[in-house]
Amino acid sequence: MTSGPMSGPDQTRVLLEAVDLHKSFGPTPALDGAGLGVRAGEVVAVMGPSGSGKSTLLHCLAGILTPDKGTVRYRDVELSAMGDGARSELRRTDFGFVFQFGQLVPELSCLENVALPLRLGSVKRKEAESRAREWLERLEVADVADKRPGETSGGQGQRVAVARALVTGPRVVFADEPTGALDSLNGERVMQLLVTAAKETNAAVVLVTHEPRVAAYSDREVVVRDGKSREMEPVT
Amino acid sequence: MWRSNRQTSTIGYSPCPVGPAALLRRSGYEPCVYPVCIVPGMSIGHTLLGLLEKGPRHGYDLKKAYDERFGQDRPLHYGQVYTTLSRLLRNGLVEEAGVEAGDGPERKRYAITDAGVTDVEHWLATPEKPEPYLQNTLYTKVVLALLSGRRADDVLDVQRAAHLTMMRDLTKRKADGDLADQLICDHALFHLEADLRWLELTAARLGKLKTAVTK
Amino acid sequence: MRLWFSDLALGVRLALGGGRTSWVRLALTGAGIGIGVAVLLAASSATTVLSERAERQAAAEPVLSETPSGDVLYAMFWDSDYRGQSIVGRFVRGTGPDAPVPPGLSRVPGDGEVFLSPALAELLASPEGGLLRERFPQRVIGTIGQAGLNAPNDLVFYAGDATLAEDGLNAITSYGGQVSERVLEPVLLLLIMVGSVALLFPVLVFVGVSTRLAGAERDRRLAALRLVGAGAQRVRRIAAGEALLGASVGLVVGAALFFGARLFVEEIALLGISVFVSDLTPSLTSAVLIVVLVPVLAVVTSVVAMRRTVVEPLGVVRRTKPVRRVLWWRVVPIVLGALALLTQAGAFGGEQVQGSDKIVIGGIILLLLGIPVLLPWVVERSVGRLRGGAPSWQLAIRRLQLESGTAARVVGGVAVVLAGGIALQSVMASAETRIVDRPTPEADKGRIVVGLQDSSPQEAEQIAALLARTAGVREVHPMRGVTLRAGDDEYHMATVGTCDAFRTLAVLPNCQDGNVFYLAAGPRRSDDAKLEAGQQISVLLNSAEEGQGHPQWTVPAFTDVPPPDDDTSLFRTGLLVTPAAARDLPVDLDSSSVHVKVDPDRPDIAEHVRNALAPLTWRAHTAYFGEVDVADRVKEFQSIRQALLAGSLITLLLAGASLLVLALEQVRERRRPLAVLAASGVPRGALGRSLLWQNAVPLLLALVVAVGVGGGLAALLLRIISQPIVLDWAGIGVLSGAAALMVVVVTLLSLPSLRRATGALGLRSE
Repeated sequence: MTSGPMSGPDQTRVLLEAVDLHKSFGPTPALDGAGLGVRAGEVVAVMGPSGSGKSTLLHCLAGILTPDKGTVRYRDVELSAMGDGARSELRRTDFGFVFQFGQLVPELSCLENVALPLRLGSVKRKEAESRAREWLERLEVADVADKRPGETSGGQGQRVAVARALVTGPRVVFADEPTGALDSLNGERVMQLLVTAAKETNAAVVLVTHEPRVAAYSDREVVVRDGKSREMEPVT
Repeated sequence: MWRSNRQTSTIGYSPCPVGPAALLRRSGYEPCVYPVCIVPGMSIGHTLLGLLEKGPRHGYDLKKAYDERFGQDRPLHYGQVYTTLSRLLRNGLVEEAGVEAGDGPERKRYAITDAGVTDVEHWLATPEKPEPYLQNTLYTKVVLALLSGRRADDVLDVQRAAHLTMMRDLTKRKADGDLADQLICDHALFHLEADLRWLELTAARLGKLKTAVTK
Repeated sequence: MRLWFSDLALGVRLALGGGRTSWVRLALTGAGIGIGVAVLLAASSATTVLSERAERQAAAEPVLSETPSGDVLYAMFWDSDYRGQSIVGRFVRGTGPDAPVPPGLSRVPGDGEVFLSPALAELLASPEGGLLRERFPQRVIGTIGQAGLNAPNDLVFYAGDATLAEDGLNAITSYGGQVSERVLEPVLLLLIMVGSVALLFPVLVFVGVSTRLAGAERDRRLAALRLVGAGAQRVRRIAAGEALLGASVGLVVGAALFFGARLFVEEIALLGISVFVSDLTPSLTSAVLIVVLVPVLAVVTSVVAMRRTVVEPLGVVRRTKPVRRVLWWRVVPIVLGALALLTQAGAFGGEQVQGSDKIVIGGIILLLLGIPVLLPWVVERSVGRLRGGAPSWQLAIRRLQLESGTAARVVGGVAVVLAGGIALQSVMASAETRIVDRPTPEADKGRIVVGLQDSSPQEAEQIAALLARTAGVREVHPMRGVTLRAGDDEYHMATVGTCDAFRTLAVLPNCQDGNVFYLAAGPRRSDDAKLEAGQQISVLLNSAEEGQGHPQWTVPAFTDVPPPDDDTSLFRTGLLVTPAAARDLPVDLDSSSVHVKVDPDRPDIAEHVRNALAPLTWRAHTAYFGEVDVADRVKEFQSIRQALLAGSLITLLLAGASLLVLALEQVRERRRPLAVLAASGVPRGALGRSLLWQNAVPLLLALVVAVGVGGGLAALLLRIISQPIVLDWAGIGVLSGAAALMVVVVTLLSLPSLRRATGALGLRSE
């Protein structure tokens, strides 16, 4: 099914686009011709059963994995043509990541965790930490700034993770089951904060989830089944 | 467009007592419908059209084919079959394909017209309005799609898109509403989510279903 | 008792139950402990190696008789060099079929026949031994068996020679003697004690550390058990079961490593040390000790390390900050060790041991044990204060602040090696100044002295002519030496040679045949015995019959001359007599020598000279000018030093291997956060650097502690041997540098595993 009219705020420009991706781990294909286009500022949900290749598609889009076949283009630059270092830098500056769990460095305090991407981009420590604090406040977790992730609740930890993903002002945020380990209330709150913050900064969100209620925060959805993707037409 | 095809078979409509529900009612997804809703909403006309796609049949055959596949709990009434067929005939979606010896409506054979095929196709491609107890209609659509060699997963995907659109609406409303709104929207959301999960599960089991209905 | 057993079994099940990760962890633990066990087994074989060698040496000792009856064997000892390797041989002649056969030989070689040691045979057969083949024209009739050799790499031969004189003093009637008890000097004894402890104790530390691999994971598992209601004792037993499993695997791996490596041991020579396979057998007692000690050590360390899990299981599960370490009990071993060593001050200083070697060894062990005990506290306190820095630095420091135990343990073993090395180095340097009383002079590689036995002056001239034709030889001067005695106890040397010959030894004003000079190295001191012209003096001759009087000689007039300025070689003072002045000086047949000046830059010139002399066999012996034989105790010292160096090398390798195992384990344990960081665009370089800091910061602290404890240990040990306290700072620098280099290398080697861990697969949920 071809993509129909988009309901995203920026309808003109495809920011990140994957075409005909193939990727195998050993003999089993994880992706078998999947593709996806993401426009600036829109929230795209990637849904599908477990093992369908959702995460692999996300990893390819983010340049963490290189597909066996097919292209991933970000702002008209092909990711596979970039070196590992350049891709790392791109992920640091233009992308943000939220995973289901275990993404915060357990040794660093929450504040330091959020400041980390800025500091890697050689922002001064003071400046980085004050910006990190702003984000923690925005996500309503300023009170855990000096605690380590192990000392926070799951919901707080995920909000810290969202703050870390957004602190660099990324163009695309990749969220892989960001509420997978949370209860409904906490999960919804995290989603609300993530989507609101992303909209405010005009960041696109690629949201991998198998929960329809989480997917409902998206502007449109892509269904992945057996390594093939299908961009769904939103019903108007 | 699909609103016109919709048949509401809802019996018993309990008045919505809560204020904010009025807001939701406009969306067409009234939460207060649930407690009393018993009869599935579905389109007998499209089902019969779909069954006719395999070839011309008598009205009696049609009823039997229908009951076999979809009427476990509530077999069709003869009268229902003939009123529906005559409506389809009037709209030009079926035509009479010869009358056998003897009189009476049961001797007539009906065949689907090109307009009828287009109508079935359109019906299958159009998602149902998300509402409770949709599964019988959807099940019928999926089975008819499988029987006629159409892509049944398209039916499901279109429907999930419709569901998700509804859920998006509710999610947005929830964000703007007060606690009562949120609670009511969540109630609807959880039910829609259940439907959606059923759609996903069915999609995962299409292969099995196909061997079951075409054997 | 049944409960005990089921708890232990549960521990084993838990250790195995985690699927692939469990197996990887078990493999790492097995490797870590296994390497240590292999080294321990090798070390426990050292006594067997030495005793077996001593027994063979005793069995090969010839029994001489001055009044032999029946067939005897005449033997002449001879040694030569080939490219710096020493070749030792005996020329033998049996007087009949019943002549005694040297051990390791099948029969007495006849004239023109030779038995070679396997190493010598291999050398001769190899292209590298091409130049040596000229020296062995004999027919090879067999190889010398193990009974006739010390070590597999010995270059030894027995050659038959019919020209050997029937010298009554050298008549061998049989072989085999008593094993002679070696009495070592106290200083050497102490050196051996320090060495064995300093080298073996780190092995035990590494074994202990290996049993703590994946400690955090195990702590969580056991804490979970504790939370569901297992008693403290039960949790300890379950942990003991896990530790026992690792130790058992380690023992099996270690035995396999040891016996596997043993098969190839004869092919390898480490710093010139090689051993026979059959010699390398651990003694039963030490083997039993290892089999018992390693599991006990494993259980004890894991139970001790579990205190926190038992006391506050919730904190372990939730990964909260651990309680702060306390200092007082961590300094106990160091204090006790220092006190023990202080009581032994001066005990090993004299000719006889006056103290208790047990107390000394105990003291050294306690001091070294103090390092891994103290280090976690030092690391925790030092790192706790650090703040800020680059992200990679921050990642490393924060990691250390949260969990410094593993890091401290990793470097603890290295610190022990280092401290032991520092102490050993200092004692060794000090022992060297004491044992080796004067520096060994540098031999002059441009001059070769050929000593001739049983050769008349005419023969010496012929040999000189022969040598002069050899390529690379510049000058050839035959000389003869005589020992003179004036009074009861005053000896002088006289050398007879031409003016040209003497010009190579001394600065001569002008020289004609008939002149006599006196060569003195350095200024003559007043109390030096001084020869006077016209003095009557006895000439000592070896060939003189017992009881006969010594011929007398009148010292002619002579001129004092100095040695050449540029010459640093050791000179004996003595008379230089030109031939015309020596007409009435009697000379021994075996006192001739030929001084050969050669082009030292010409490759293998010494080998060509030796080859030219090959037909003379045992009659010619070559040495560089200025080469001196070293005393036995110096030789002993040198071989101990060699063994200790070889041991240090093995221990360092072990330290490196253990470090690598631990570094890999650390990466594995932190796979998920590392993978997420890499996915979020943290450059792998930054992650690698943080890994380096994580190893380097504790290492730096370990260096400080090691230098402190090692220096202290050295000072205490030097007091024990009553030597001035001088620390070998250069040696400390080299050792510390080596340790630092090792950490860098280990970090580099763990980068591929970091790369794997940070791949997208690391993101998949476990």
